[in-house]
Order: sequence, then structure tokens, then C-alpha cells
Amino acid sequence: MAKTKTNTEDYLRMYRQMVRIRTFEDNANQLYLSAKMPGLTHMYSGEEAVAVGICEALTDDDRITSTHRGHGHCVAKGANFKEMFCELLGKEEGYCRGKGGSMHIADQSHGNLGANAIVGGSMGIATGSALRAKLLGQTDVTVCFFGDGATAQGLLYEVMNMAALWHLPVIYACENNGYSEYTKTEEIAAGSITARAEAFGIEAFKVDGQDVLAVNELTQTLVARCRKGEGPFFIELETYRYHGHHVGDINREYYRSKDEEKDWKENRDPIVRFRAWLVDQGIATEDEIEAMNAEIEADATKAVAYAEAAKYPDVSEVNMHVYAD
Amino acid sequence: MREITLSQAVNEAIAEEMRRDPTVFIMGEDVAEAGTPFKVLSGLVEEFGTTRVIDTPISEPGFVGLAVGAAMTGARPIVDLMFGDFIYLVMDQLCNQAAKQHYMSGGKLKVPMVLRTNMGATRRSAAQHSQSLQALVAHIPGLKVAMPSSAYEAKGLMKTAIRDNNPVVIFEDKLMYQDKAPVPEEEYLIPFGVANIKREGTDITFIATSSMVQVAEKAADILAKEGISAEVIDPRTIVPLDEATLIESVRKTSRAIVIDEGHQSYGVTAEIASRLNEKAFYHLDAPVLRMGAMDVPVPFSPALEDVTVPTPETVAANARKLCAGEMIDAA
Amino acid sequence: MPRDVTMPQLGMAQDAGKIVAWLKAPGDPVTKGDALFEVETDKATMEVEAQASGYLTGVTAGEGEDVPVGAVIAQISDSADDDTKIKQLTVIKDEKDELPIGNSVTMPQLGMAQDTGLLVNWLKSPGDAVTADDLLFEVETDKSTMEVSVGFDGYLAATLVEAGQEVPVGAPVAIISADKPSNPVARSVKATAAPAPAPEPVAEKPAPKRQEKKPAPPPAAAAGGRILASPKARRLAREQGLDLALLVKAGHPQPYHVTDLDTLRPMPAETPLATAAAATMSLTAEIASDGFTDFAAWAAAQGLTDADALLAGLAGASLTVPCVVAIDRFGQQQSFAVPAGRALLAVTRTDDAPDLILRDLRGTALRSVTLGATETPVLTLMAGAQGLTIALECAPSQLDAPAAIQLLTTFAGRMEHPLHHLL
Repeated sequence: MAKTKTNTEDYLRMYRQMVRIRTFEDNANQLYLSAKMPGLTHMYSGEEAVAVGICEALTDDDRITSTHRGHGHCVAKGANFKEMFCELLGKEEGYCRGKGGSMHIADQSHGNLGANAIVGGSMGIATGSALRAKLLGQTDVTVCFFGDGATAQGLLYEVMNMAALWHLPVIYACENNGYSEYTKTEEIAAGSITARAEAFGIEAFKVDGQDVLAVNELTQTLVARCRKGEGPFFIELETYRYHGHHVGDINREYYRSKDEEKDWKENRDPIVRFRAWLVDQGIATEDEIEAMNAEIEADATKAVAYAEAAKYPDVSEVNMHVYAD
Repeated sequence: MREITLSQAVNEAIAEEMRRDPTVFIMGEDVAEAGTPFKVLSGLVEEFGTTRVIDTPISEPGFVGLAVGAAMTGARPIVDLMFGDFIYLVMDQLCNQAAKQHYMSGGKLKVPMVLRTNMGATRRSAAQHSQSLQALVAHIPGLKVAMPSSAYEAKGLMKTAIRDNNPVVIFEDKLMYQDKAPVPEEEYLIPFGVANIKREGTDITFIATSSMVQVAEKAADILAKEGISAEVIDPRTIVPLDEATLIESVRKTSRAIVIDEGHQSYGVTAEIASRLNEKAFYHLDAPVLRMGAMDVPVPFSPALEDVTVPTPETVAANARKLCAGEMIDAA
Repeated sequence: MPRDVTMPQLGMAQDAGKIVAWLKAPGDPVTKGDALFEVETDKATMEVEAQASGYLTGVTAGEGEDVPVGAVIAQISDSADDDTKIKQLTVIKDEKDELPIGNSVTMPQLGMAQDTGLLVNWLKSPGDAVTADDLLFEVETDKSTMEVSVGFDGYLAATLVEAGQEVPVGAPVAIISADKPSNPVARSVKATAAPAPAPEPVAEKPAPKRQEKKPAPPPAAAAGGRILASPKARRLAREQGLDLALLVKAGHPQPYHVTDLDTLRPMPAETPLATAAAATMSLTAEIASDGFTDFAAWAAAQGLTDADALLAGLAGASLTVPCVVAIDRFGQQQSFAVPAGRALLAVTRTDDAPDLILRDLRGTALRSVTLGATETPVLTLMAGAQGLTIALECAPSQLDAPAAIQLLTTFAGRMEHPLHHLL
């Protein structure tokens, strides 16, 4: 990894974004554990390098579609803690005025078309966004995030077929965290994941999803090729979710061992790995990194406190936004 | 005024809007060179090319999903669903995705798309190509539902639908594509949520949608000879529904029959009848009747199929009973 | 600033967790991610990690204790001796005295979908020695009442709930100590911020009964009950003061629609029976002597042999207008036409419907009546202590108050001094 100093800011930003995701999730988890958050949520912790590596290769004009495990994508695409925590707690100042919650955060100002609570539900939307770009002669690229579980949905094959037929600027980013909800991926997916895309003539790549630089480099290349009309592409990112399927999925040894979780956390954590590399390369000192972590933590604490004290939407808003003007 | 077919009216509406707005495009199965099995879209591909008149694979959920995404990001797609019966295939994209984006995002995202499809039995197409499924989508908040009853309505409603910032489902009666009606040369739009009083009357109100408007008008002709004066109202869009006009008419006539080609149970007729009951109860001199398709899968045999839908004769017979004050037997 | 350590929400539908063991002692340094304590839920036992680094302080929940989800059980502070007061959320909030050390007895979950239990009665008193199998308290759930045993040997060191209080499932209700408590405690759950006992539901006010707007002449109950009519016909009849019951009486077939009102409109309205029955005026007069008996005997001698015609004439004349008066005696009724003026000779028998009924009960033991108004005013003649008692019952629509008083006063006067009538 020979890097020049000009990239220093990019690297620090990538590190910072990964820590922001982890910090956001730790706080969200606390809100759930302390029964302050209504409903459930699905933690992205452990998969930070995927969202950050990809989104750091995109501009605000580029679109993403996200999943039920979507906080990471949202943060990586540029969202603020304050509006995100407000949304998680159903407050008026949330990104969706409290109408969406954890599973539907959308942040259009940064090109996030929203999380989707139907597994595989956003594949059509992402591909449609790419169709629009091509149709209107726009150069933006759309990334469709989905998990290994969603590869079992028929919609994926319908839209990959059309994307390939029409050379649409879309990148299918399959976050393979090894588990389809409470079931091992190998029990629900026959054959190879990347071969599914290759069957449509789509170039498919497999990358270590815990290596933010590898993810970022690959995405940069593919985004550039998409802009030249060479899309679509498919990436399988090998990653791991530290928590259960959702925050209430605590006792999960029946499908996943503690040793396995420990191994990923201790040996493959994307933040720990990248931090060591930053120090090793002389891009940041331990002190600078600690200071950055502390600043993010303080930022999150402040945002949580703000969200907790924030107003709920007025009940008169309940039938607003059913139809657009 | 010139007369054109419903099919030509739809074609004109789409062509005019595509000329007017470069973000409008149409996609679906065999929409380009084939111009759809009903030849509604013939000629569009010649004018707009295959980039804006897009033949898709037979992947209904896929291309409806694409339309949702294109609409969310700045285009105005029209998707052509070859038969209304295929709406079951696209329910997630239509009802979970398109209908809810605006609300879930707190008003930030918009989905200006049109899904044009068809309805109507008696074409000898059997149970999977003859259904009238407007009630399914009318049930879902966030979707608008238009039901043109003639070429004039088909054009005006289509143009309004394309300019609307919400997902709109338009059901055209596949048996009416060749029916002609006067359609002005000059541009016009028909606003949503404004019912059309097709014929004024004093004794009974027929509220009828799409194909059933013709049926109601014929029934009114029959009754007129017997001295019964029927008012015929076409709501034109069932979501939004011009409740005020319907209620005003029923307050005047004191009697109503609601006629729609969807299955009678839990249907469009039930919804409208229920609103009349709630809001015009003390003006009713007879129970509000629903007349829909029989609650059976549409049979193939003409001998069977023809009895499944309301006809001018059955509508007139029911109207006579109501006007005579006969008890409608609950048993 | 110290960070709160709370009882985590672990399962999908979990209200409380039991602290099995603390893995750090108060004052210990902890690092974020360290296992801090072990919790047992309905499903399993698991370790809970510290969510911050610092020192464990202010531990308020002991091992074996069940703590509601979200309650603060300790803090992670910047120094080992931080004694910042914890805003305690458990059932012991606001209590100044220390609770004895021991095992907690909690409100058990008895039903499938039960959130709370009503502690009906304590079966032991604070300070009592108890064994594990002793019955400690009675609980009432939606289904039944049952007794809950102590579960530990020892002494009832504290009761945390008063009899009659509703307690969330899993919340501690008592503490059993191993040693005899020096100062057994009895508390109430009121002061706590833990899932508060459900507030007394506000007595549901019955929705005010909608006042039926009675039509001016209310429809008489039709034979067989409800009249079948369209909502519009019913509304118009009400607005126009028409009585659909008249159509029923006339044998007009139901159901009625607006067109039937055209048939109804010319029908004569009935005497308002029901109204009469609803409101009755009742007046009673007593006269010291019965002048009529002697008068009748005298009149008979003069050739006026029909005493009832005399009686009717006296009564009818009291009305001051020509009228028909019926004399009712033992269920037999005879009507008399009474002309204007006082000419008793001109009173003749008739079959016309009466305007006034005179009920003669003189021969009976009855001394007073309240029978209610009928379609005509009724005068009742009864024997009095000395003379006669005369009652008048009528509806306000038949006679207004001055007219009723005038009628009875005049008639009573004539019965006392019939001869005055002739003068």
C-alpha cells in the first residue's frame, strides 16, 4: 500500500467515518438496551469498511440504496448524528420527521435514497436510478447495498438482467456477513454469489470487506468505469456483523459461536486494522487518533442528548406526506 | 368535434407529454415496435426512439421497481403492465415501495410515476386475464387510482397522471380500446378528484366506474321509458374520490346503486356505498345497492362469463325495485 | 461525568433481568468492553459489557436481585470514589433508610400475557422467620388468586409493597435475609419510579344518551314494535310533525318511503294519548256535606227521575260550554248531552263520545284515586269522612290549570248546594 501524502486527508476521513459508524451504533445500542428507543434496530458494527470504502469513492450526486442494516451507509454517505438519532427516537427533527425510524432513514441531500425494510426491496430502485441517469444523460452512479440474504430474492435477477442489457451505471454491493438473519449463508445460497452476476455478463469482484483501502480502491475503479458506460458491476464484500440480526438477537450461539465472533473482532476488525496502518505509515499518531475518537464520542453524546430532549412531531402530522403536492 | 378511439386517446396523451417533458418515458413488455398487444402505443417508438420507449424483459416486479427508482431520482416513468391481473406480481414494488416513499421520508422523496394497466371481463380471456383489481390498489394510502370511462377521460386523466407527483395507477377497460368518443384537438387535462355528472336525473343515482358508466347510461335509457329518471355519475378517479358530488346527488335522488366491475365483496362499490351511508343516511329512501362482478374467478365459457358482470338490464331491474320501495331481502 | 450502567433490554419482550453476579467490584477500574456483570433473563445467562471506561461506582443492585429493564444499577465514573448520587429508578427510590441485605422475592409472572400482579395480602410480617416453602403473599392476576411461597429460608427483612398494590412482574416485593433483621422494613411501592402501578382508570363516563327528538305527536307503538321506514321518510315525518303510526293503523303496508308521506299527510292526527298519559293534573275537593242526595230526592218528586242526568247536568254545566258528560259507575257508562246554561231539564241521553267523565264511586270504600289522565278529563265522586270527596284528573292539554280549578270548584259547590245551581 504505497500511498502519497496527498491522500492523508482521505485516509483520516475514512478512519473517522468508520469510527463515527461504530460510535453511532454503540450509542444506538445503548438507547435500545436502556429501553429509550422505540422498536428494534439492526447494528452495522463490524461492517464499517464496506460502507466507508464504497461511499468514500462516491460524490453527493451519486446515489445509494440501503438496507434494514442501514445506519452505516447513512453515516458513510454523509449524514449527521443529530438528525439520525432524532429519527431513531421518532422525533420531529429526524431525517424523516420521525415517520421512518431506523429502517427507513433517507438523506436525499447526500444521495441516500433510503434504507428499506423489505430484504432486497431496493434493488429495483437502485437500478431504476441508474436507468434515469442513463436516460437523462447524467453521470452519477448508483450503488445498491444488500446482504447475502437478499441474493435469494428473485428481484435481483430481474434487475441485474436489465442493468446488464442496458449497461446501466449501477454497482451491486453484496455485503456477505455470513448470515441470512439467523441462518448461515451456505445454508441458503447454492453455488457462488459472484457467479450469479457473471451469468448475466456482469463483471463481479470479491473483496475483503474488512480492508477499507481495498474496498475503496476497487470502488473507485468501478465508479469511474460506470461513468464511462461500462457498468453494471457486482462486488461481494466479505464482512461480519458483530451483533445479532437485530439488537434483541442476544442468545445466538445456536447459529454462531462466540469463538467465531471473538476471532473476527480481535483479528479482523476494520477499524483496528486501519488504525494500525495509519500509525505505521506515519499518517497519524496514536494521540491524534485518540483525540479524534474522543471528539467523535463527544459528538455522539451530544447528539443523543439532543435527540432525547427533542420534540416529537405534532400529532397533526400523522396524515401529512401521504400524497405529494 | 372529432371522434377518436380510447386507444388513440391514450397514445396522444403519452405522446404529448413526452414531447412536453423530456424526463417522461415509457417502459414495459412489448411497448416499442409491437406497441402493446392492444396496439395502444403504436408509433411512439418511431417518434421517441428506444431510449424513451423501452421494451423490457418479462419481469414485472423488476421493471416496476426500476420505474420507482427512476421516479425517485428525477424522471417521470410510465410503466405498462400488459394485463391488470399481473398487478399481483408487482405488489411489493407498488405498495411497499412506490406508495410509501413520500411518507416514510417525511415528505422528502417523491415518486411521480404512472402504472397504466387494464381491467374488464367478457373478452373470453378466463380467470388470469380478465380481472378488475382496482380495489387492491385503492386500498393503499399513497397511490392514486384513475378509471377512465371513455376516450375523452382516458386522454385527460393520463395527462394529469403523468404530471402528478405521486404514483398513479390507471385502469383502462380493455374492451373499450376501439370505442370512439369526441375528443378535442386542443390540449386539456382532467383534474383528479372531480366526478363527472354524465346525465342528470331525479329518482335514483348510478355511480359507475370505467366500463360500468356505459352500462349505467344504458340502464338509465331503459328506465327513462318507464318514467324513472336516473342520474349517472362517473367519479373518474376513485382515489382521490369526489365524495361531495356523489353525496349531493344522492341527497337529491334519495336512492343509489354503485356499479364497478371489480368483485363485489370488499370492493370499490362497498367503499362508496359505505360513505353514502355514513354521510347521506337521513336522505336515503332506499338501501344503497352495490353491483360488482360476481365473487367467482372469471370463467372462460361465454355462457358463464356474461352473467358475472352487471348489465344494463340487471342494473335497471334493481333500480326499479328501489324506486318501488320494495324490500331488498337480506335473507 | 459518570455514565449510568443500566439493566439492559436483552430479549424482545423482557421487562426485567436478574443480576447473577457482579464481575467487577465497586471501585474497580473498568475498560469499555469489559464484562461487568452477569444477567439472567427468561432465556439464558449472559455477560453485559461496560459501555464506557472508568471506575465502577454507586452499585445499587445486588446479586440475585431482579431489576426492571432500563433501571440504573451502577455508574462508571472518572474516579473510584465518585459518590455522585444516582437517580435511582428501581423500587427503592426516594427511601432514605437502607434496605437490609438479602434475597429478593419478586412478583412472579403467572399468566401468559400478564404485566403486573395485585398483591392482595401479606401472609407474613416483617421480622418473621420464614422457610422456603412458607407462603409469603397472595397475588391476584386477571385469572385467579394464588399464594406465592418465600423461596428462601431466613427472615422476612423487608416488604417493599403494601397489600392492595399492583406490582410489575419481576419487580422485587420482599427481601429475605439470612440473619434476623434488627430493623425490619415495610414499604410501599408508591414512591418508586419503577414501572408505576397503573393509574386508576378514570371512571368511564357513560356517553350522554342522545336525546331522542320526540315528534310532536309521538308515534304510538305500532303493532309488532318498530315501524319500517326509510331514513329519509323517518326524518321528513319528524320534521313535518307526521305520525307514521297512523299509516300502520290505517293498514298501509310497510316499509314506508317518502311517497307514503303523501298518504299520511291528510290523515287526521289522533288525540295525543301518550302526552295525556305522560302528564296528569290531579286536584281533590272535599265538601262537608252531600247536598246531592237530598236534591235528587227532591227533583224526583218534581218529575226529574233520572238522577244520573242531574249529575251529568251539574258536572257539564261546570264546564260552561255545551258538552257530553258520561256517568261511569261499576264499569257501566252512560253519556248525556248537556247544553249551555243550567237547564237540567234539557239534559238528554246520547251515544256521543264524552268530553268529561264522572266516575261515581260513592258506594265504594275508595276515598282517594290517582288513576292518571285518560283521553278525557275525569271527575271522581267518593264518599268523604263526612260529606263527599271529589277528584279531578286531566291532562294539561285538555284543561289548563285555571280551567281545572274552576271546573272542580264549581262542581264541588254545586254538589254541596245543588239548589244554588238553579238560582
